[in-house]
Amino acid sequence: MGALDIWNHNKIGMGEVLKTQIGPLLLWFRKIEDEMHIAFERLSEPDTVVDATGPVVVNGVEPEGLDWGRWIVGAEKNIVQILPVMPDRPVVVHPESPVKIPTGHEALFFVSIPVWVRVLIGEKKPIELCEVPVLILSNTWFGDPLSGQLCYSLRSRARRQIKDSETNPSRAICPVKIRNTSPKQLDMERLCVHVEHLKTYGGDKNLWTNGVAVTFRGEDQVSKIDYSRERPSFEPISGMLSEARTPIKETILKKSIGSFKFFGGI
Amino acid sequence: MLLLTGINWSKLITIHNINTVIRIIVLLGFGFPLLLFICTLVGKAVQKRFTPQAGMLTRKGIFYFGSILLIISIFYQMGFKLTALLGAAGIAGIALGFASQTSVSNIISGLFLISEKPFEVGDLVKVNDTKGNILSIDLLSVKLRTLDNQLVRIPNESLIKNQVTNITRFPIRRYDINVGVAYKEDVGKVRDVLLDIAKNNPYCLDEPEPLVLFLNFGDSALEFLFAVWFVKADFFKLRNSIMQDIKERFDAEGIEIPFPHRTLYTGSVTEPFPVHIVQDKTGKSKKHG
Repeated sequence: MGALDIWNHNKIGMGEVLKTQIGPLLLWFRKIEDEMHIAFERLSEPDTVVDATGPVVVNGVEPEGLDWGRWIVGAEKNIVQILPVMPDRPVVVHPESPVKIPTGHEALFFVSIPVWVRVLIGEKKPIELCEVPVLILSNTWFGDPLSGQLCYSLRSRARRQIKDSETNPSRAICPVKIRNTSPKQLDMERLCVHVEHLKTYGGDKNLWTNGVAVTFRGEDQVSKIDYSRERPSFEPISGMLSEARTPIKETILKKSIGSFKFFGGI
Repeated sequence: MLLLTGINWSKLITIHNINTVIRIIVLLGFGFPLLLFICTLVGKAVQKRFTPQAGMLTRKGIFYFGSILLIISIFYQMGFKLTALLGAAGIAGIALGFASQTSVSNIISGLFLISEKPFEVGDLVKVNDTKGNILSIDLLSVKLRTLDNQLVRIPNESLIKNQVTNITRFPIRRYDINVGVAYKEDVGKVRDVLLDIAKNNPYCLDEPEPLVLFLNFGDSALEFLFAVWFVKADFFKLRNSIMQDIKERFDAEGIEIPFPHRTLYTGSVTEPFPVHIVQDKTGKSKKHG
């Protein structure tokens, strides 16, 4: 099954209930007259992370106690579409073991980021109904307490290569190339990935984002960040699934790599 | 009636006077609405580009300046000489200044507050025992809306003299909780449990990292400071959830939160407390220490 298969258009009949699973997230859709009802729940079992089933009709077997949300969409709209999108805030990636890059060197990392699911209805000019994160990430602060930024926190293995056997429908792989042009060795304790500038692509086995190239120029300097306009080339790509939340065309300069020491004291 | 019949109306109603009255009505009728329109327009533009406070100050500045110009124009139309008027205004100003020292002090304090910017409209501040959001920063006073929806007016002078805490100036804050556990508890376990509570609470930030400090050997408990960071908007959610988390998790882990207690000694640690049993008239025995 390709990564694109669950991210598709699905017809929903009047009174019908559809269920789809994307990793630990279960989504339920119900059409009643001119209303679209959506409910979701998250599974806590860790082995559900790689599960994925496309929308299937499950009339009468939906669990009781689901918290349904209602949208008035019109009786004629009967095509449900789900798309993977990047989280709504930057993600601070903490490598499980600290990574050091000597001066003048560069390294490519693959960061696996849990996606959000965007639900749309309608075929032509679809209406966006809601967005649900597949996984709830904890909040963190990147930068100093006066002028930093609220981000999501993510522990990552920061892998150097993608294994063929691994596939995860609920995460998008972001290729990040880090180049150290500063005169000192780079101790990468955390990396802030501005995911709001990333598109998602469907590959043969995985979801992908466009690549990011970060040039580190020193602790006190802002980093130069380039967002690739090309689709990733690490496996065959079927097509783009969603645009970036905040599309960006140029290179940006931002504080992106940090080894901040926050103040303590009572 | 006598007063009105005594007036020579033919002398008073002249073309010149009618013209003057019309000019004053035009000035009042068009001048003030125009001034208010300009205030709103410019204020909105400034607010959009800068801050709500800058917008409010601009509106007020234009309004006061325009009002003075309008009043001077009206007096000029009424035949007052401008130089004499301004001279009289200067003398009156000095007299008023002496008479209204508090007001002048408030105005000057207001100017300092505006230039120093310790807070802006919308900030949550604490002044003495009053806590509330800044509604407006005016010429004489600052108006607060307290958390239980009351209006409090604080003179600018007292804001300059007293300590003002701006609670929401910075985007993140630290919430400190004093936790006491029984002397029998394992300090390392208590520390681990508290850190795990912070890790699992959605409103606690991962960074800056939560802090657990073993503070003191208290009268009845081992005292810890548990400090967690949060985004300022999540204050109430964090406060409610973290307290509940601590109670539930301590109960689940069997960690005792002790009540204050006292141990009485009779002078020697090893000897038992002396108790005398006496009998009253009804035959019931009573214990006396």
